[in-house]
Amino acid sequence: MNAWIRLCVRLALVLVVAGIAMGCGGSGGLLTLDRIGKEDAPKTMTVQLNNSYTHQNATTQSWADGFEKLFTKFAKEHPDWKLELKIIPDAQTTQEQARLLEQARVGRAPDCANVDSFVVAQFIEQGALKPLPVSQEEIDGLFPFVKDVVVDDDGKMYAYWWATDVRMLYRRTDLVPEAPRTWDELIQSAKAAKQKDSKVDGYLFNGGRWEGTTFDNLAHFWSQGGELVDDQGKPIFGEGKNRTYMINMMNFLKEAVDSGASPKQVVTITDYAEFEAAAQAQTVAMFQGGDFQYPPLKESLPPEQFKKYEISLLPTMNPNDPQTTGTGGWTMGAFSDDPEKVKMCAEFTKDVYVGAGNQVTGQLPTNPELFDSLDKFQDPIYDQFKEALTYGEARPGVPVYPEISTQLQIAIGTVLTGEATPEEAVDTAYKASLSAYNELKK
Amino acid sequence: MAAKRGMGFRTLLGENRPTLWMAPLLAVVTLFYLYPAIEVLRYSLTNASLQRADYVYTLDTFIRVLSDPVLYEVLKTTAIFVIASVVLQIVLGLIIAVAVNRARKRRLPGMVFMRSIVLSAWVMPGVVIGIVWSIVLNEAPYGLANLVLAAFGFGNVPWLSTPSLALMSIIVANVWRGTAFSMILQYAGLQSIPDELYEAAKVDGASVLQNFWYITIPQLRPILMINVILITISTLNTFDMILPLTGGGPGQATEVLSLRTYNVIFQQYSLAGGAVLAVIMLFISMVLTLAYRRLLRSEGTL
Repeated sequence: MNAWIRLCVRLALVLVVAGIAMGCGGSGGLLTLDRIGKEDAPKTMTVQLNNSYTHQNATTQSWADGFEKLFTKFAKEHPDWKLELKIIPDAQTTQEQARLLEQARVGRAPDCANVDSFVVAQFIEQGALKPLPVSQEEIDGLFPFVKDVVVDDDGKMYAYWWATDVRMLYRRTDLVPEAPRTWDELIQSAKAAKQKDSKVDGYLFNGGRWEGTTFDNLAHFWSQGGELVDDQGKPIFGEGKNRTYMINMMNFLKEAVDSGASPKQVVTITDYAEFEAAAQAQTVAMFQGGDFQYPPLKESLPPEQFKKYEISLLPTMNPNDPQTTGTGGWTMGAFSDDPEKVKMCAEFTKDVYVGAGNQVTGQLPTNPELFDSLDKFQDPIYDQFKEALTYGEARPGVPVYPEISTQLQIAIGTVLTGEATPEEAVDTAYKASLSAYNELKK
Repeated sequence: MAAKRGMGFRTLLGENRPTLWMAPLLAVVTLFYLYPAIEVLRYSLTNASLQRADYVYTLDTFIRVLSDPVLYEVLKTTAIFVIASVVLQIVLGLIIAVAVNRARKRRLPGMVFMRSIVLSAWVMPGVVIGIVWSIVLNEAPYGLANLVLAAFGFGNVPWLSTPSLALMSIIVANVWRGTAFSMILQYAGLQSIPDELYEAAKVDGASVLQNFWYITIPQLRPILMINVILITISTLNTFDMILPLTGGGPGQATEVLSLRTYNVIFQQYSLAGGAVLAVIMLFISMVLTLAYRRLLRSEGTL
């Protein structure tokens, strides 16, 4: 009996050890938890990736499976290379950009890394990123707003921006049959929707203390022709016409809340998931969300409920203003001084992320042609997203932008809670941004 | 001379001397505590930013931060947050500790379970607590707190969208987290009070309130003072819970000093600005600790 128990224990131990080894991919495998390629490959490149864009994505299994296949294929096609991975938890990606910038400053950045599109220009300006060996044709194929950020004055591309997104107006057609074209129409439609169904909030948008609040609402400033900074990167949003445009934007948001079209709760919204939760609870008529919310809404809402939703371009102040929308997303950049590693970083990005990665994640490509060639984007809704990207506007990649963003988040919060008038809030934000700019110039 | 040097060496490292056995501790303290603190102080005297490689030594950052009116709003918010948190954690911790202690003396069942429940709030990471409270206080019709209020016929309460209520909400969340720690310390203190004191008071005909006021509180005073110091410092450093709960908003209504420091470094990339705020925090903590220490000494408990 004892011998039988000992045998069982040994067998169990062997199974546990084998399981752990298999779970880790095994030291001799092509893909492990922290390595792509064989352990004994002669060339090594360090790569820093967001957890979402790896085979370890714990929240979306289809992404994990997709990247596992892409990484394995890459490893097979590049037997001389092993890529040592540093994977950043998704909740820490914002903090990590600050750390990455610091690492780059002291020459300890990884060879190749995910860089957020909204800070990539600062990496380029610091000279932290190396130009990628890509053809002129590839550069020409990108959306203009992408080229504006990642292609420097020397015509070279310093980061491969491969995934992007847009902000759109989601609306329930049973409550708001026609897409509002102007801000006034939006507010009237939201109020009318509330009258039809008292349980719904007319219009939800990001208004809390986070980057999404500035980014989403800047579309209303840009669509009037507003500019945040001048050619030298100096804030100008508090001067002349730009000040008027910014105050108009604040007045629109204030009017939305004061009129009851939007609940005061918007000042607490710091996550797009709030809109999805409201859609599931059937408590919202319209919200300003991202294209990335379309697939989860389609999956989570009952079909008859989802059918009621339509997506349109963002309303503007005047009926003829361009329907500008904010664009974000992720790039890959090379930090290494070794040209071979820079080349490998570009190859890794093109083989795994550009097109193939969009196909896995459903995140929008930055080259309009990929919308036609990739299966993932054949749903007619993607024609709308593609059209919206032609109105795409990226945040200015200047060192003072993080300060501007923080100040505008505070300004929107104080306007919506009635602590400041739009004029006071804009002037305070502008003064603080200018002060930070002057400090950075020293 | 050599013999003298040898003697000195032996004197320094002899087995009855603390140098040798304190060396590892000194090394750890220097490397992991002192060095980072000196670095923070050094950065506060520069104009360093994460967005550029070079920096110069200057007092301008100190002047800029200290002359910024926002700092004083943040300090006011921090003071309200810390004072309210400390008072409530001490009072509630004491009430629970007294209740648990009485229950223990009466050998009531379920006391270990109750202590475990109270402690569970304390062992949870701040970020998780922030997320839990953001679900509870969500102002949407499906928010938990408002759902409960609605069941009793009350209307929606703007827990997080009104500046004053938002500040109250983060205080409540912080007190919920910290009361367990306060309770444990005070419970330990209560157990160390000799039963003879209460028995003597009983003989003298003292009431329950007189027992509490003339025996429990004076006996607990040293523990209470230590508790106040620890709660003050931990509350001053709290930002992990506020970040997911309000992010410092609406506007800057719940932006306390530690959260502002985090925002200035990680959102605005100002290393020097963040370092100045960290030095201010260090200064406040040191002043408060010295004040409490002085108070303890004057009462002869230290």
